[in-house]
Amino acid sequence: MKFLIAVGSQEFSEPTLRVGMQVAKAFKAAVTIAYVGPKISKFSASQVRFTQERMEEWEFDRPGVEVLEWAFAFLADNNYIAPTTIEAGFSKNTLVQTSGNRCEVYLQGTVCKDVNLILRNGDIIAELRDEVQRGKYDVTIIGGSQKKGMAHDLVQYIDSSIFIVKNYNQEQSYSLLLPVNDSPHTPKAVKYGVRVAQAFDIKVNLITVSKTESFGEGYTQASNRASKLMRRVGIDHEHRYKTGDPVMIIKNEAGNNHIIVMGASTKNPLLKFFAGSKPLKVMEDCQCPILIVK
Amino acid sequence: MYNIPAPTGLSVEGYRTLIIVVMAIILIVFEPVPLPAVAMMILILQVLLGIDTSNGVAKSFMSDAVFFIMGSLMLAVAIVSQGLDSRLALGIIKLTGNKTWKIVIGFIAISAFLSSFIGEHTVTAMMMPVGLTLVKNSGVDKRSTSKLAALILFSIAYGSAMGSIGTPSGGGRNVIMLGYMKEFGVGNISYLEWMKYAYPILFVEIPLAAVILWYTFKPRQLILDSAVRKLKIQVTKKGSMRGNELLTIFIFILVFLGWVLFSSKVGLGIIALIGVFLYMAFGLIRWEDLNRNTNWGVVILFGAAVSLGLHMKDTGAAFWVADTAINWMKMISDDVSIIRWFIAVVLTGLLTNLLSNAATVAVIGPIVLNMGGDPLVMGFSTAIASAFAYLTVVASPTCMIIHSSGLVDKSDYLRAGWKMFIMSVLVLFIISNFW
Repeated sequence: MKFLIAVGSQEFSEPTLRVGMQVAKAFKAAVTIAYVGPKISKFSASQVRFTQERMEEWEFDRPGVEVLEWAFAFLADNNYIAPTTIEAGFSKNTLVQTSGNRCEVYLQGTVCKDVNLILRNGDIIAELRDEVQRGKYDVTIIGGSQKKGMAHDLVQYIDSSIFIVKNYNQEQSYSLLLPVNDSPHTPKAVKYGVRVAQAFDIKVNLITVSKTESFGEGYTQASNRASKLMRRVGIDHEHRYKTGDPVMIIKNEAGNNHIIVMGASTKNPLLKFFAGSKPLKVMEDCQCPILIVK
Repeated sequence: MYNIPAPTGLSVEGYRTLIIVVMAIILIVFEPVPLPAVAMMILILQVLLGIDTSNGVAKSFMSDAVFFIMGSLMLAVAIVSQGLDSRLALGIIKLTGNKTWKIVIGFIAISAFLSSFIGEHTVTAMMMPVGLTLVKNSGVDKRSTSKLAALILFSIAYGSAMGSIGTPSGGGRNVIMLGYMKEFGVGNISYLEWMKYAYPILFVEIPLAAVILWYTFKPRQLILDSAVRKLKIQVTKKGSMRGNELLTIFIFILVFLGWVLFSSKVGLGIIALIGVFLYMAFGLIRWEDLNRNTNWGVVILFGAAVSLGLHMKDTGAAFWVADTAINWMKMISDDVSIIRWFIAVVLTGLLTNLLSNAATVAVIGPIVLNMGGDPLVMGFSTAIASAFAYLTVVASPTCMIIHSSGLVDKSDYLRAGWKMFIMSVLVLFIISNFW
């Protein structure tokens, strides 16, 4: 599997990187950590590149290198990269320009397969979307404090699953909230939920919500399958059936001490754009980390 | 738009030219396709829509102004590659001392002076490492130096933008306007005559810009004693001037003299190309480096924009737009002389913040020269107003270069820019009416 973790700054991205690496470790995934710098107008691209070359002669790093340097230090401190790589240190010279606005450095991973650090310039949504298409990532992990509406746009436009690390507090104990219904994405969401629960060693709260009093056959079958899987892998879990507005119920259940894992909407993109979807609404309303599985 | 009948008084070719103008502006602002593709589209449509023959379009595409833009971009690469920035740093320090306000005036004045002769982005590329070294040496905490960084970076960017009006060679747009003036029979303005009109504007703007920037980004550090000392040590380590650096300066002085003495005969563009030839002939720059660092897409786009401007004139589109604008102005007042001037200047200033300044002049130039009044004043004021690129990150390469440092926010451009914009319009109004 392949994970993409987007970081913005040392100040705000520490929880994103910490949670992202912990989950990636559970999946034994290859990880790419990406920083996206400001968009450079095509009019000025060569002048900016030229100036940055001059700046390097004055021993100034291009913006974003310090964020990658911090990410390297984090990986080294937590032994996510091989000792030989740590000993060699973060050499700026190893940043390889792979296209006009993309630089990359490869690090040998330990618990994760590979770790790449990349630096991009441009519109953050467009760059992450391009990176996901290019690297065929399974999960993209971003922080919740990023630009307003960014998470919403990423969920809409990026092909991979999205994990938004919103208001994550390392000191707090979390449970995993896993809404289960007859949606085609539910089985995959349950599998991802198992891995995340194992990564954090937490209890899973399965929840099935129906707008009416009756729960259809699809709902009950899906929830039985999910419970069975939890039992089989030995995860402490509980299953509840609730009636009412799914978004409100999930929001109330989640509070601020759950990690939500749910399947993406199957509505067509145009309808999602105008009418929204349950996962989008849950993501906007809830104040806790959420993984939307596609 | 193509199927709507042409408005009364406008030829079909003129109407089609305006359709291309609107399409090009939208594509340049939103950048959905690469800029060279916009240039291609302009050239192709001019032929396919029957505005001109392919030979006619090709002829209008290449002019001395395009030679100049190409030459000045290559000169910039040649000059910056020599590492003259460290010499510049020493010069600034000697001139300004260690008080922050003096350093700010020094940065604005030197950037403005240099960008009068060479491209503004060249000056910004050389000045930025000097400025950021001072910022880096004045404190370890990024927060405590954020205002100082903004102050110094904007001093460089705005100083360079202001200075680019100083001489015809300060920017491609000046040369484009000179070309139009010649084409429209307004007359030839010599290099020195241009300086005589433009430099007074600069002299007034420099202290005013320093005051505006100081009060917008007032820094905590009022004296940069240790930062200046560290910069001095860093620069001194580079040793005395090398032969290559001296030769670079010597060739540039030759180019400058060529512009002053011979530009009216052979054109500014050819002289810029002579300079590039000399840099290559003396082995100061390799073709590979010139090729890699010159934005050929921009050269092609400016060529296409100039071609479009000339066709606006030939098809009567420029006259029609100017005439319609004057008729609207007359609805406000019968005496349109001041309104006309303000509309030309403010529109150019605003467009330059969205498009590139050369593209703005290429499109607006033929219109303002048809708007009546003294075409010399109108044309000159338009060229000067195209340097008011203060409001947005994309306004000019200088704004983009300082933004790429990651030390200035997009909102900073508006914070300082609107004051700079109003100040510049007022100074230009006063000078163009009384000088």
